[in-house]
Amino acid sequence: MHVYLPIAEMPVNVLVFLGLGAAVGFLSGLFGVGGGFLLTPLLIFLGIPPAVAVGTGAAHIVASSVSGAFTQYQRNNVDFKMGVVMMAGGLAGTLIGVEVVRLLRKAGQFDLALYLIYVTFLGVIGSLMMIESLNAWRKIKAGSAGRTRKSGQHSWVDGLPLKMRFHRSKLYISAVPPAVIGMFIGFLAAIMGIGGGFVMIPAMIYLLRMPASVVVGTSLFQIVFVAAFAVLLHAVQNRTVDIVLALLLISGGVLGAQFGALSGEKLRGEQMRILLAGLVLIVAVRMAVDLVVTPEELFSFSGVQGGR
Amino acid sequence: MRNLRNAAIAAFAVLLTCLIQPVLSAPADLPRETVEADVSTRSVSITSGFTGMEIIIFGTVENSRQPSAEAGTYDVVVVVEGTTAPAVVRKKARVGGLWINSQSMRFASFPAYYAIASTRPIDEIADADLLTKNEIGFKHINMKPAGRASIGFSETADAQDFRLAVLRLKQRDGLYVKSDYGVGFIGRSLFRSTITLPPNVPVGPLTARVYLLRDGQLLSSYTSKVTMERAGVERFLHDAAFERPLLYGIAMIVLAALAGLSAAFAFSRISA
Repeated sequence: MHVYLPIAEMPVNVLVFLGLGAAVGFLSGLFGVGGGFLLTPLLIFLGIPPAVAVGTGAAHIVASSVSGAFTQYQRNNVDFKMGVVMMAGGLAGTLIGVEVVRLLRKAGQFDLALYLIYVTFLGVIGSLMMIESLNAWRKIKAGSAGRTRKSGQHSWVDGLPLKMRFHRSKLYISAVPPAVIGMFIGFLAAIMGIGGGFVMIPAMIYLLRMPASVVVGTSLFQIVFVAAFAVLLHAVQNRTVDIVLALLLISGGVLGAQFGALSGEKLRGEQMRILLAGLVLIVAVRMAVDLVVTPEELFSFSGVQGGR
Repeated sequence: MRNLRNAAIAAFAVLLTCLIQPVLSAPADLPRETVEADVSTRSVSITSGFTGMEIIIFGTVENSRQPSAEAGTYDVVVVVEGTTAPAVVRKKARVGGLWINSQSMRFASFPAYYAIASTRPIDEIADADLLTKNEIGFKHINMKPAGRASIGFSETADAQDFRLAVLRLKQRDGLYVKSDYGVGFIGRSLFRSTITLPPNVPVGPLTARVYLLRDGQLLSSYTSKVTMERAGVERFLHDAAFERPLLYGIAMIVLAALAGLSAAFAFSRISA
């Protein structure tokens, strides 16, 4: 069964893309990650033009993060004030990111930049996850659970101006670091077609020292708006949002995410985490290989606007 | 009697002349061959179910002197061309171990799609001048470099590399296709050819050109247009994305948010 994509301008197999959405949704439900960092490269491997993969990926993130944010909101796990501050930075970062995408496409270097950023991020995050999960697994096997964290440390963050009180997070800190983190993530989100949760959550925990309970909800809350803004900008500036492709991925994704969440309650976390880290590293290696190996065809085309 | 005999001889001579004359002076007096042709489909609709289609180009040689379909007196070449569009072709080079787009050439125009079918390989049909003049065959497609790129760049080996790359890439994508024996005669004057439009054919009007040749000489040609447009949902979505991108973006966000929310609702009901 095929359907013709209006922006990518190609017919695709409906089942393949529903399946891809479901598989990525399953993983995101299982691990509580957005899955954009897997979806965008997989779309590219399946022949979707990179710029369309990024623009359409953003729409997929809106759907999956709205879903998660709503659930977190019901559990009162969202610090709205912090979310709004981060969002302000995030929107600015997205604006810059989409403009950078446009300039890079014009210069013919977007694919290269995308690959480099992906290889770097997936390589680093995948390695860290692998090390962390292997250690955790070893600890569980050795029978020593629980971890120790230093608290009450003061850092350079405390010296910044524009201090605000964030009640839900029980923090009194400058608004600058959350805004800057938001901006950086917004920039990455626009270029990579991701939500950025996997970068933002560690930043919120270790840099802002937010309580773990509100981290996921707050990050999802601001991702919804930043991703929505990215969709809008990609649609207006680059014309690279394919609504048919997005709906296929989202349909598969919402179903997959529910099954993933259900399975997540039954499976052993550490082993699955090792698998996820392995998957992330495989994608990183595959993209790195594409950059280094002599291509069969040195020449390539690009149209003047739209998907091609 | 003598008159009668003379009259008989004269009559016979006239009769004989009448019989022989067409053979002797045929090229001068026989009507010229011309070609008339048409396309099976005058308009192609790209709908959400489009997975490519076949069009048939058929025609007839008027005043055909061909004794049979197999005689091979005439050559017919059919060219179906898509719209021309500007494009940039880039070439990768190794920079610090990575393959990076370094050189580029901007073309003002070349056809997005080009299908050619002929009764035999075109190089055997006519000489290069005629083929170039009529843009028959991949090598003879007119690829205009865009303004700035053409200065001091037009006839260098590099430019030739880029042209060849365009042909190679287009053939790889199935957008430049040729069929050396793709036109066949049915009977003395009727011919037909099937051209396949691939699923990824760039959307835009097509031009079908039919050439009739004999002994390397162009006798006649015929041009016909085929419209190709998006239709139905496909057209609606594409127009929205390009003409009302803001609305299109908002619609995308609303749909995505609704899908996400409904999933969350449904799931919280189930799990509660």
